Amino acid sequence: MERNVIGLPAGFRDLLFEEAETRRRVENGFAAVFSSGGYREIVPSGVEFLDVYGRGNQGVKDRTFKFLDRDDNLLALRADFTPSVARIVAGRLRAGPLPIRLWYSGSVFRKADRHRGQFHEFSQIGAELIGVNSIARDAEVLDVALTCLMGAGVEDACVHVNHAGIFRGIVAALGLDARSLEKVKSAIDRKDMRTLGTRLEQLGVAAPVRSQVNTLSRCVGDAGVLAEASASVANDESLRAIGELVSLSGLLPQWASRIVFDLTEIDELEYYTGAMFNFFSPSHTGELGRGGRYDGLLKEFGADLPAVGFSLSLDRISECL
Amino acid sequence: MSLNQQVMIALPKGRLYDQARGLLARAGIMMPESDNGSRKLVVSDASGRFDFVSLKPVDIPVYVESGAIDAGIVGTDILREIESDVYEPVDLKIGVCRLVVAAPSERELPLSQMVCIATKYPRTAERFFRGRNAHVHIVKLEGSVEIAPLLGLADAIVDLVETGRTLRENGMRVVEEVAAVSAKLIVNRTAMKMKSAAINHLITQLDAVVYEHR
Repeated sequence: MERNVIGLPAGFRDLLFEEAETRRRVENGFAAVFSSGGYREIVPSGVEFLDVYGRGNQGVKDRTFKFLDRDDNLLALRADFTPSVARIVAGRLRAGPLPIRLWYSGSVFRKADRHRGQFHEFSQIGAELIGVNSIARDAEVLDVALTCLMGAGVEDACVHVNHAGIFRGIVAALGLDARSLEKVKSAIDRKDMRTLGTRLEQLGVAAPVRSQVNTLSRCVGDAGVLAEASASVANDESLRAIGELVSLSGLLPQWASRIVFDLTEIDELEYYTGAMFNFFSPSHTGELGRGGRYDGLLKEFGADLPAVGFSLSLDRISECL
Repeated sequence: MSLNQQVMIALPKGRLYDQARGLLARAGIMMPESDNGSRKLVVSDASGRFDFVSLKPVDIPVYVESGAIDAGIVGTDILREIESDVYEPVDLKIGVCRLVVAAPSERELPLSQMVCIATKYPRTAERFFRGRNAHVHIVKLEGSVEIAPLLGLADAIVDLVETGRTLRENGMRVVEEVAAVSAKLIVNRTAMKMKSAAINHLITQLDAVVYEHR
């Protein structure tokens, strides 16, 4: 039998010297920002029960590297940090003082499609603030993320900010069944506005609600678009969500030039419950990372605690430098 | 990995190329006259805002999803097969055809039994038949799929039909439609955010050409 001792399996890589040093510098910079903000490091296990995944994100679960332990339990290599954090907080930290501020850094593993030029292992760094639901804490976490990115040297980084409640409020007003809603969401997700318009019309959605969906699909820009959105939507949940973004904007005047309010996207997995963040840089062709408020996840692990956090790709940040 | 502010658009080589070029011209985006002697892979439009590269259609979603190219024009047959994670803001209404299940005219297609399907679209075919609870065996081919049932490789095919002439000439009939197909403008998810001015201009112009002056 030929032994594979020289090569590396497809979809993996080693980082040597300069690449490793760049990553180390970025990580150290992040660690200093986290530490001065009162965030403490955790090192979650590299292996989880498979069942930890798939809560609201079947896509990640399908892509995990799975194996059996001695007792034939189905295990997976860590494919996402947030479920690990939820498990740890629910199991070991729920009785302690709140809020909990923590950060982590390490590899996650997800099977990429064959021959698409993607890796199975990528490096994430992130922070979570658990136990308080307030705009001030959303602002704190966003401030930490942007401070980390600037500190790392991604000086052209920006964040697109949205709120899950805006679309949720409109969906409630649409009154669609699950199947129709999927079709509407997929058209929004593809930014296919003509198909969206036709589908909404066929589903008998009233013209005023259709025009709200249309207005939102154009709302990208500074805090001014929030006023435009406010004037257009008519339901309380959406208005409250837009109000929260106005407050968030008021709390972060120092980052005004870095924040783009972008109400055109939806959270298809319905994972987020409040503010949502997507980080970009003109120096990179991919998203640098994402985050937001997810008040529903910890309940699934047995601790009903609100949470907000973000995770960024150390690989992509390093590629920007 | 750096993005410049120029927007690069991938055009599909082959049957869609001239129509795609024509649409862009009507949208005010003029590509230089193609001189056959030129071997340049990337050409710019008259305004200098857009660069063009011609690629094999199946490669276009791969380039656009990765961000190596900002936008492209490609058929939904390929988009659904590759399951690309890109924006699809404009249905360009060119390259309109159907993806169908077709079988030899004289033969019944017993979906209660295991059927062998030859196709260039294995993932789409598998999804379709799974949705019907039909258990099928799929053989991937790269071309001339309609010959497979005649030579006994497969019981039926999943393939594109425009007029149905090729099928008829080979003694086949359409059993069922899998999907309506047309070409779309696709856009990379990050480029949409980072080059929004130029890309929104492209979307608005193409949308107007397709839907307002037909």
